Amino acid sequence: MKESIQKIKEGVIEGRHKEIESLVREICKTGISPETVIQEGLIAAMDTVGRRFSAGEIFVPEMMVSAMTMKLGLNIVKPLVTGQAGESRGVVLMGTVKGDLHDIGKNIVVMMLEGAGFRVIDMGVDIDVEKVVAKVAEIRPQVLGLSALLTTTMPEMKLVIEEIRARGLRERVKVMVGGAPVDAAFAEKIGADGYGKDAVQAVAMARSFIGF
Amino acid sequence: MKATPYNLFISALYGGRKGIRPPAGNPTSIACVELMKACGAFFPEAHLNAHAMADLALAGHELAGFDTVMPEYSVHQESAALGCEVDWGSETRMPDAKTAPYADFSDVIVPENILEKPSLRVVLDALSMLRREVGGQVAIIGKVMGPWTLSYHMAGTQNFLLQLGLGEKDKINRMLRQLMPVTIAFANAQFRAGADAVVLADHATGNLVGPYHYRDYLLPIHQEITARVGGPIILHICGNCLDRLELFAESGVDAYHFEWQVDAKAAVKIIDKRISLIGNLNNPKTLFQGTPEDVHRQARYAIEAGVDIIGPECAVPLTTPLANLRAIPTAVREGY
Repeated sequence: MKESIQKIKEGVIEGRHKEIESLVREICKTGISPETVIQEGLIAAMDTVGRRFSAGEIFVPEMMVSAMTMKLGLNIVKPLVTGQAGESRGVVLMGTVKGDLHDIGKNIVVMMLEGAGFRVIDMGVDIDVEKVVAKVAEIRPQVLGLSALLTTTMPEMKLVIEEIRARGLRERVKVMVGGAPVDAAFAEKIGADGYGKDAVQAVAMARSFIGF
Repeated sequence: MKATPYNLFISALYGGRKGIRPPAGNPTSIACVELMKACGAFFPEAHLNAHAMADLALAGHELAGFDTVMPEYSVHQESAALGCEVDWGSETRMPDAKTAPYADFSDVIVPENILEKPSLRVVLDALSMLRREVGGQVAIIGKVMGPWTLSYHMAGTQNFLLQLGLGEKDKINRMLRQLMPVTIAFANAQFRAGADAVVLADHATGNLVGPYHYRDYLLPIHQEITARVGGPIILHICGNCLDRLELFAESGVDAYHFEWQVDAKAAVKIIDKRISLIGNLNNPKTLFQGTPEDVHRQARYAIEAGVDIIGPECAVPLTTPLANLRAIPTAVREGY
């Protein structure tokens, strides 16, 4: 079994997107549980990809291909999962704040969160305070991730947090922030629960918020 | 050597004789709202009107005290000429491309008269105006986008990076090769119009792509561009590029404009005078949120480290305080 799981893992790490679907189909026929394929194959692979990215061994293009490969594999195995095991590990609402059209960093965080087993709702870019707060109220995510690439749009993050507090939703959602001009000191100043310097830290933080 | 802004800059650009002080230079934009108000030339007009463009550049010398004038503030002059729909933004918002016309990686059609397209003509006209105004006194810097940055605009950044990750070498190389002549033509035209040096901005950004991507795809192209462009070239690539400085030194450029993320002392040691170094004051924390004292401290650190020309690391945020920008020329005027 270990060998088959290892093959899946390597397939995702190396971004073998053309082979991953047949690899996953094959392994599922051998009686290995879909949960094992997901946890020990696909998700474990993305953890390795994240570590290699943080260490500067690979960069965004390779990470994107691995995430795409993982998703292809996940699409094959997910319908086979039954009961509670098929549920996501938590819900994360993501978006780039008002006035900011940058989305690559945010998209990478989304991919990595999905790779780690979260259900992610991506609101896109240029999202105003009202919309974020309405979505938080509607979806009740455990985590809200806000992104900004511009120094001029960073203050929007503070406005979102203030509005969430004003509506009495703050206790129900953890807020994490990120983006090139943002740092831990800024996150603390605006009352966020945490700052992630990259997608790997964002995933680790979301995990710590939810407790797994 | 007379200590004029022009002489100090050009000498430092070639690693030549040191004057009484290092020059303060801005290979990328130092346009901020306060500067716009002070000179009466505002975004978005300053992207599209040669007079406004030149006036705002001149304010960088006359009102902020820099030894250079640089009239191109956006990264979308070429992409507009190549067919991207560009939102030119506002006083507080930089321009942004709304469309990626070659997302399918089909052959890029470069208009025959591309240098006459309004978004390029305006830069050439502004450079000529600056030449007439301050030529030989203040160093005039032009700016072109390299084929890598243009590919982001033509194909969409995420799409381009994905194809890169998928190993679509032919697609990537074909697009880069089709765009390279635009960079060369615009750079040479800027020299003819009056630029003393031209910035080659090509965002093979540290943390985004790897040094191996630069080496395999872009280094040969940069070597070809620098061989085919007449005047001095300043390479600008954002991010932490410590892992690829060695490659930049081999690209044929005369200087590299770098970010605060790369420690000035480390950069000086690796580059070892093969090319000049320009930079590297932190934009978001120091210039935007810091005080003139913070700026002064960083500028002195860069000077003492041996950086040749002192300036912000990249285009400054539009609401950067003018007092913080002025602290750079103040720091260089204290000498070495």
